[in-house]
Amino acid sequence: MEALNVIFSVAFLAAVLRVSTPLILPALGGLISELGGVINIALEGIMLVAACTGVLVSVWTQSAWLGALAGVAMGTFVALVLAFFHLNLKADLILAAIALNLLASGGTIFVVYLVTGDKSSTSRLVSGQMPFLSDFIPGVRALGEIGRLLDQNVLTYAAFVLTAVVALFLYRTRTGMHLRAVGENPEAARSVGINVRRMQYLALVLSGVLAALGGVYLSMGYVKFFARDMTGGRGFIALAAIYLGARKPLGVLIAALVFGAAEALSIQLGNLRVPTQLVQIIPYFATLAALVIYAVVQRQRALARQRAFVQSRAAR
Amino acid sequence: MESTIPLSFDRIAARKAVQAERRRSMLIDLGVTLATIIAALLMGFIVIALLGKDPFLAYEALLTGPITRLGRTGRWLELATNLILVGLGVSIAFRARQFSLGGQGQMVAGAIVAALIAIYVPLPPLLGVLIPIAAAMVTGFLLGLLPGVMKAYLRANEIVSTLMLNAIVLRLYDYVLTFHLKPEGSATTRSLPVQPTAQLPTFYELFGVDLGRFNLGVILVVLGAIGVWLLLERTPFGFAIRAIGANEQFARYGGIDTRRVIMLAFAAGGAVSALAGVHLLLGVHRRLFLDFVGNIGWDGITVALLARNNPLLVPLSGLFYAYLLVGGDRVEQQAQVGSELVQVIQAVIILLITAQVLGDWIRARRARTQAEG
Amino acid sequence: MPSPLLVPMSQNTPYIVEMRDISKVYPNGVRANDHVTFAVRPREIHALVGENGAGKSTLMKILYGMERPSSGQIFVRGKPVSIHSPHEAIALGIGMVHQNFMLVPSFTIAENVVLGAEPVRRRLLDYKAAVAITRQLSAQYGLEVDPEAPVEAVPVGMRQRVEILKALYRGADVLILDEPTAVLTPQETHELFTAIRQLVQSGKTVIFISHKLREVKEISDRVSVMRNARLVDTVDTAAVTEEQLARMMVGREVFLHVDKAPLRRGEPVLQVRSLEYVTEAGVETLKGVSFNVHEGEILGVAGVEGNGQTELVEVIAGLRPATAGQVLLCGQDITNASPRQVRQAGVAHIPEDRLTNGAALSMSIAENLIVDRYERPPFTRGGLLQPTAIKENAEWLIEQFAIRAPDGDVPVGSLSGGNMQKVVLARELSAQPKLLIAAQPTRGVDIGASEFIYEQLVRARDNGVAVLLVSADLSEVLSLADRILVMKDGQITAVFDNTPSLTEEEIGYYMLGVKRMSAEAIAARA
Repeated sequence: MEALNVIFSVAFLAAVLRVSTPLILPALGGLISELGGVINIALEGIMLVAACTGVLVSVWTQSAWLGALAGVAMGTFVALVLAFFHLNLKADLILAAIALNLLASGGTIFVVYLVTGDKSSTSRLVSGQMPFLSDFIPGVRALGEIGRLLDQNVLTYAAFVLTAVVALFLYRTRTGMHLRAVGENPEAARSVGINVRRMQYLALVLSGVLAALGGVYLSMGYVKFFARDMTGGRGFIALAAIYLGARKPLGVLIAALVFGAAEALSIQLGNLRVPTQLVQIIPYFATLAALVIYAVVQRQRALARQRAFVQSRAAR
Repeated sequence: MESTIPLSFDRIAARKAVQAERRRSMLIDLGVTLATIIAALLMGFIVIALLGKDPFLAYEALLTGPITRLGRTGRWLELATNLILVGLGVSIAFRARQFSLGGQGQMVAGAIVAALIAIYVPLPPLLGVLIPIAAAMVTGFLLGLLPGVMKAYLRANEIVSTLMLNAIVLRLYDYVLTFHLKPEGSATTRSLPVQPTAQLPTFYELFGVDLGRFNLGVILVVLGAIGVWLLLERTPFGFAIRAIGANEQFARYGGIDTRRVIMLAFAAGGAVSALAGVHLLLGVHRRLFLDFVGNIGWDGITVALLARNNPLLVPLSGLFYAYLLVGGDRVEQQAQVGSELVQVIQAVIILLITAQVLGDWIRARRARTQAEG
Repeated sequence: MPSPLLVPMSQNTPYIVEMRDISKVYPNGVRANDHVTFAVRPREIHALVGENGAGKSTLMKILYGMERPSSGQIFVRGKPVSIHSPHEAIALGIGMVHQNFMLVPSFTIAENVVLGAEPVRRRLLDYKAAVAITRQLSAQYGLEVDPEAPVEAVPVGMRQRVEILKALYRGADVLILDEPTAVLTPQETHELFTAIRQLVQSGKTVIFISHKLREVKEISDRVSVMRNARLVDTVDTAAVTEEQLARMMVGREVFLHVDKAPLRRGEPVLQVRSLEYVTEAGVETLKGVSFNVHEGEILGVAGVEGNGQTELVEVIAGLRPATAGQVLLCGQDITNASPRQVRQAGVAHIPEDRLTNGAALSMSIAENLIVDRYERPPFTRGGLLQPTAIKENAEWLIEQFAIRAPDGDVPVGSLSGGNMQKVVLARELSAQPKLLIAAQPTRGVDIGASEFIYEQLVRARDNGVAVLLVSADLSEVLSLADRILVMKDGQITAVFDNTPSLTEEEIGYYMLGVKRMSAEAIAARA
C-alpha cells in the first residue's frame, strides 16, 4: 500500500520527469540516427563530453547558458568525428563509437583532474545551473505540490518540446523525409537525387546535439557538478528506448518515461525495503521482450503473406 | 594477383612470390598498428608538454612503471589476466561477425554463481577451485545463449540485447549482494570471503615472490588462449564460425547450420568471458563487493579488437593494454598527469585502427606503384 | 523507313531521342555496346528487345545517365547533350522505371511519388498536396493507385505504377520501362498496357524493354532488336512476325563444340513433382513444375532469366522452402531438407552467384574446398580438423582442376573469375554427387576456363552423374544438354531431346512465349 501511495504522489511524478530528461533527449537523438540508418552507439560518450564541457565553461564564463552552448558544441563535435570516421574513413560505425565512448570517459576525467586536481568530480567548483521554471515565474513555488511538479528545469521542458520538434522534423519536413528514406532504402533515395552521405552526416550530427543536451542537463540541471562517468549507462538505456518505443518519437518519449519511472521508483522505494535493483530491471526486460515480439511479428507477417497467396489461389 | 604469376607457371617461384606478398601484407598491418600506437603516444607526449608538465618524466613513468617494482608488475599481470580472458571470449562471437557486447554481464553472472559455491560450499582442495570455475562457465554459456538464440532465430539486434542483459545482470548482482550475500549487520556491502580451498593462490603465497595479487589464475589465460585458438582454428565448430564470419550465405549454402552455430558462438564466448569473473573472485578479491568488475568488460572488447580477434594475439594486446593502464597510474603519481590520459591514448589507437582506409590506402598505393613499375 | 544515320541534325529532327554510334567498353574489356544507333520518335511506343547480355540495359543506362558511353553522341529533341547523372536525364525529360523498384517500403504511395521533389507549404511538407498530385496524375494517366497506402502493403503491379507516376511527376516525356511485365500477372500486364497507351495519347513517349515477343507485338509501334552488343535493326512492329523477331534475336553460331560419349541414360535420380514456390513478398515464381533428371544425362534448363530458374535451383538445394510439391532424390524425399541434408543425399550445386553463395573470398582455397565436408573424415578426426588432410586435398584438387594458384593458402578473393569458378567446380565435383546442379556455370568466365568447365560437366555425365544445367546462354545449353527443358513464367513450356535438327530459333520461340507445348506433351517428355 505504501508503495502505491508513493507512486501516485505528485512528488513522484516530479521525480519521474527529472530522471527521464537525460533519457528522453539522447533517445530522440538516437532515434534520428537509427532512422537515418546510422545508429549512434556513442550517445553515452557524447553526453559525458557535453556534461563536462558545460560545467567547465560555465565556471570559466560564469554563465550557465554559455556553458550549455559550449557543451552542446563539444558534444556535436564528437558526433561529427564519428560521422567523419564512419562516412569518410570507412571505420566500422559501432567500433568507432565504442572507441569514442572510451575516449570520452577517459578524456573528461583527465580534464577534470587537470582543472581541479580531483578525479571524482567538479563539486569543489562553483558551476552554473540551467534555470528552473521558478527562476522565470517565482510564483510557481507558492502553488504547493503542483508547483513542485511544474518547477522543472528548462531542459526538461525542452525535452518535451523537442519530442514534438523531432516528430515534426522527421515527418513534416522535406529533410526529415529524405533522412528517413536514406535510412530505409539508400538506393531509392539516391535515385531521386538525395545525397545519402550528407543525410547520414546530418543524422549523426543531430543525434549529437540532442545527446549533448541530455548531458548538459545531467551536470547543469539535475545536479550542479560534473562527476566521472556520471552518465552511468544512460546513453545505452536511451538506445533501448528507441526499440521499446517502436522507433517513433512519441513511442520513444513514452519508453524513456517508463525507464525514468523505474529509476525514480527505485530511488523512492529505497526507504521501503523493496529491492530497488529489481524495480530497475523491469524496463530492460521490457526492451528484451519488445525486441522478441517485434521479431516474431515480422516473421508472422511474411508467413501470412505466403499463406494468403496460397489460399487465394485455392479459392480461384 | 593473376599477373604476378608468370604464364609459364613456375610453381615454386610463384609460391615464393605469394609467400613474400603475404609477409609484406602482414608487415603492412603490423606497421600500421605500430604507427598508430606511436602516433597516439606522440599525441599524449605533446599534450603533456603543452600542459607545462615534464613529458619525459611522464613517459619514463609510463614506459617503465610496470616493471620497476614487483608489486606493479604483479598488478600489470593480474589486470592483463582479466582483460585477456574477456577479450578471448568476445573474440569468438566477433569472429562470426556478431557484435556481442555481453562480456561484462557474463563476467558478473559467472562471478555470482561461482561465489555462491565458493563461499558457502566447503570443498576439498582443487575441486574447491574447479567446481566454481565450471559453474561460472556454465552460467556464462547460458547467458550467451540467450542473445544468441534471439539473434540466430529471431534476427533481434544483438547489440541491444546484450546491453540489456548486461544491465539486468549488474542489477541482479547488486540485489543478490545487498540482500542475500551481505552478512547481517555488516557495515559495508560485501560478501563473506570464499572458502580457503577455493582460493587461487597468489605467487606470493606459493613462492614468496611479491607480485601482489597476481595468482595462479594465469593458468586460465594460457589454457584459454590455446583453447580458443584450438576451437577457432582446429575444430569443425570453429571452421563454421569463421565461414559464417567470412560469408554467411556461403556458409549456409555449404550446408552449415548457420543459426545453430551463431547461437553457440555467443554461448561459447560467454563461457570464456565468465572466466574473468571467476578469476577476479577466486584469485584477486576473494569476495564480492559493489562495482566488483569496473570497466573490464568494455576494455576486454578493446583488447579483442586490437588483436583483430586472433586468440594468439589477444594475450599480447591484453598485456599491452594492461601495461598502459598500470603505467598510467604511475604517470599520475610521478608527473601529476591524470592516468586517464592513457585511456585517451588507447581510445585514439582504437579509433585509428578502425579506420580501415589507412592499411587499404597503403596497399592500394603499393599496387599502383608496382603496376606502373 | 529512313536509316537513322541519314537523318539531318536539326531542330526539325523527327526523333525525340537519338543515340548515335554509341559504343561502351567496360574497364574489364567487355564490349557492351558496339556502334549502336538508336532513335525514338515522339509519341511512339518503341520496344527494345534482345537476349540477356545483348546490351539493351547498358544502352538505356547510358541514356539515363547511369553509365557514360565510351564514344558516340546523344541528341534529345535534336540538341546534342551529355548526360552525367539520372538527375540530368530527368531534367531533360527522361524517366526510367527500373526492374527492381526504387521505393521506400514504409512510405505511402504519395510520399514515394513526390520523394526528392516534395510539395511544401509554409516550409513544411504538404502531404495533402502530395496526395492530391498523386491522385490527379493517377487519374490523368489511368494509373490506378491508392495514394495513402504504404508501398509495402500493396501488390507488385501497383508498385510499378508508383514508379511510373514518380517519373511522370518529375516531368518525364520519355519513359524507359525496363522489363516492366517480368513481375506482373497477366491481368496486371493488361492494365499496364492500357496505361501505356493512355500515356502515349497524352503526348508521352515510351521505350519498352522486353523479352516477351507477344507483348512487344501487342504494344509497340516500332521495335529495335539488339544482339551481341549491336543493334541488328529497327522495324515497324506491324511489318514483322514474332518468328522473324525471334530469329533476329537469337540467330548466331554455336562456337563451342563439346565431345560427348553416346548417351547412356539410367534410372531417374532427381524427381521434381508439382513444385510451387511463393516468395516472402507473396509473388508466385514456380507454378507447378515437374520433371526428372536421369543418371548419365545432362538436362538443360533454358529460359530467359527471371522465369523461375533461380528459385527452382534454390528450392532443390534446400536454400528456399518449397510452398508445395515434392523433390525426390533416388526415391528419397528431400523436400525442404536442410542444405546439409540435401548435400548428404548426394546433391552438389554450382551456384548462380559465386561471389555471394559459392565462395568466401577472405577464406583460403583449401578452406573453400571443404565447406561442405569439413566436419567429416579425413578433414576432422577425433573432433579436430586435420590441417595436413585439408592441405593435401587442396593440392590435389588444384592439380586436378588446373586452378592457377601457387598453393591452397591463397585467399579465393585473389583469384580470377575463371579460377574462382574452378574452385567451386572442384569442390562440388569432388563431393562425388549423384546429382550436380550447375547454374550459369560459365557466367563471367573466360573462354579457356569455359571449355574446361564444359569438359568437366560432360565427364561427370559420362561417369553416370545426373546433371541439371541451368543457363541463360542458349548455345551453352545446346552444346551440352541431352534434353532441354524451357521455363517461362515459372512453368515448363517445352521439353526437347537435343537432336542435331533442334535449332536455337525453335527453342527461342518457347523461351520468348511465342509457342508453348501442350501439357500432355510436356508431361510425356519431362
